[in-house]
Amino acid sequence: MASDRIVERRRVFQQYKEDVKERGKPFYPYAMFHDTVMSLVVVAVIVGLAIVWKYTTPGNHIGTQAGWLGKLYDDPADPGTINFVPRPDWYFYFLFYLLRIFKWPNSVILGTIGLPTVLLVLLLAVPFIDIRSERRLLRRPVALVASALVIVSMGVLTYKGATAKESLGSELIAKVPSWAKTEHFTGNKEAVAGAHLFAVSGCLNCHTYNGTGGGFPGAPNLSAEGAKNKGITFQMNHLKCPACVNPGSPMPSFAGLGEDNLRKLANFLEASKGGK
Amino acid sequence: MATRRLTRSEQLQQTIMYPVDWLEERSGLIGGVRYFLFRKVPGDINWFQTLGSATLTAFIVQALTGSILAMYYKPDPTVDPTTKLPVAYQSMQHITNDIFAGWLVRGMHRWGASVFIILMFMHMGRVFLFGAYKYPRELNWIVGVLLLAMGLGEGFTGYLLPWDQTSYWATVVGVNINGTAPFLGPFLAQFLQGGTYINADTLSRFYAIHMLMIPGAIAALIGLHLYLVVRLGVTSPPWSKEAAGTGPLNGASPNGNARRAGLSRFGRR
Repeated sequence: MASDRIVERRRVFQQYKEDVKERGKPFYPYAMFHDTVMSLVVVAVIVGLAIVWKYTTPGNHIGTQAGWLGKLYDDPADPGTINFVPRPDWYFYFLFYLLRIFKWPNSVILGTIGLPTVLLVLLLAVPFIDIRSERRLLRRPVALVASALVIVSMGVLTYKGATAKESLGSELIAKVPSWAKTEHFTGNKEAVAGAHLFAVSGCLNCHTYNGTGGGFPGAPNLSAEGAKNKGITFQMNHLKCPACVNPGSPMPSFAGLGEDNLRKLANFLEASKGGK
Repeated sequence: MATRRLTRSEQLQQTIMYPVDWLEERSGLIGGVRYFLFRKVPGDINWFQTLGSATLTAFIVQALTGSILAMYYKPDPTVDPTTKLPVAYQSMQHITNDIFAGWLVRGMHRWGASVFIILMFMHMGRVFLFGAYKYPRELNWIVGVLLLAMGLGEGFTGYLLPWDQTSYWATVVGVNINGTAPFLGPFLAQFLQGGTYINADTLSRFYAIHMLMIPGAIAALIGLHLYLVVRLGVTSPPWSKEAAGTGPLNGASPNGNARRAGLSRFGRR
């Protein structure tokens, strides 16, 4: 049976070669003409995008203001800033949004590595999964549905990733008193100061706290972090180098905040017992 | 052997053809080019099948603009004491604002990347919908998927180079995500960063990966990709009545003309 198929597909390919030889047309000039036109269109589009990028930038077309296609460049990289919302280039938005769907800690690895790896392996395996010689789309219902699903889900994920709004520090400070009340640390000055830092330092871009915050890339909910009683020293060490204390952690280092601020943050985290 | 005096035009022709013949005799390249240009393709190919060469064009644009950018860009994150700006950032700003047509070259590279990636996806979609990955072209599909993965790798590594806030923080998260992968993850993250965190070596490392390692691999794989296209031929659109290779069921007939009469009508199981 299988060998029949091999014989048959060899015959079809042999016939393809004969058909092309008999009835085909030379690559030059026919196909090459189409290719050249298309390539010129591509170059024109690229040059056009570069021109629009530059000449829609407000002012004298330099600097960090955004034009139609975004900023020419941003402020210089500053590892000390901690409330900057990380954003990849648009073609990674689907991956970026995929990460938000998964929650820390058990399933996040599915989103970051598992699913993309599975997709890549599936993609590589396509010719070995679909071994029929039928090429007409309407007679390949599985391929048709699969490709439609992939296109729709990539489109939706890209759109969601593009429009996702992360928490911004300044608006979150207003929530500090209510946090202190729910979590019963109103009297603890260090913890309240830590809560302010927590609100403005970008923690909520990833973490959730009392129903506020991001979930990117599946970082844990910290509302009851203190209930684990890990201690101030642990929290401070973790903030300085998350991966050293918790191997494999994707969280960046917050050592730039300095000892005093880190102690406040650690106090805040230890004071957050989940409102109990 | 009797020699005859050559006419003026024969002499001229010989003189012109001499370098071509010289090259052909020693390399066979002329024959190769001739084979490439005059090989037959199915008569019914259509515009969707130009997406592959369009992708190649986008890659060539990236290679050319990238080479020009490399002449001015400095992959150095240390802060210039006079301007208080990182050297890399400053060189990117210099390219964008000062150098003649620098904004155009950088803009073409920046947006050419997006166009390249869109075209790779469209080309892949076309190949999928045409069923062009089927026997005997499976290997070329695999090469294509690897090219796609490397193209995305170029996007990731190139994004850091302007060394501004956007690029820096996107990379911090990106590298950390790599680090969460089981087994190899931490090593991969450490390899990318050149250490346990993003430091002065990270930028030059990304730069080397972005402009030497991956582009070299992409160029080599494109060569293999094209070799396989030429060797195996271009497919007809699957809906074509004239589609090559869709002979009749009783295709054992050795007579090409008789076979052609039944093309594609009864050729399918």
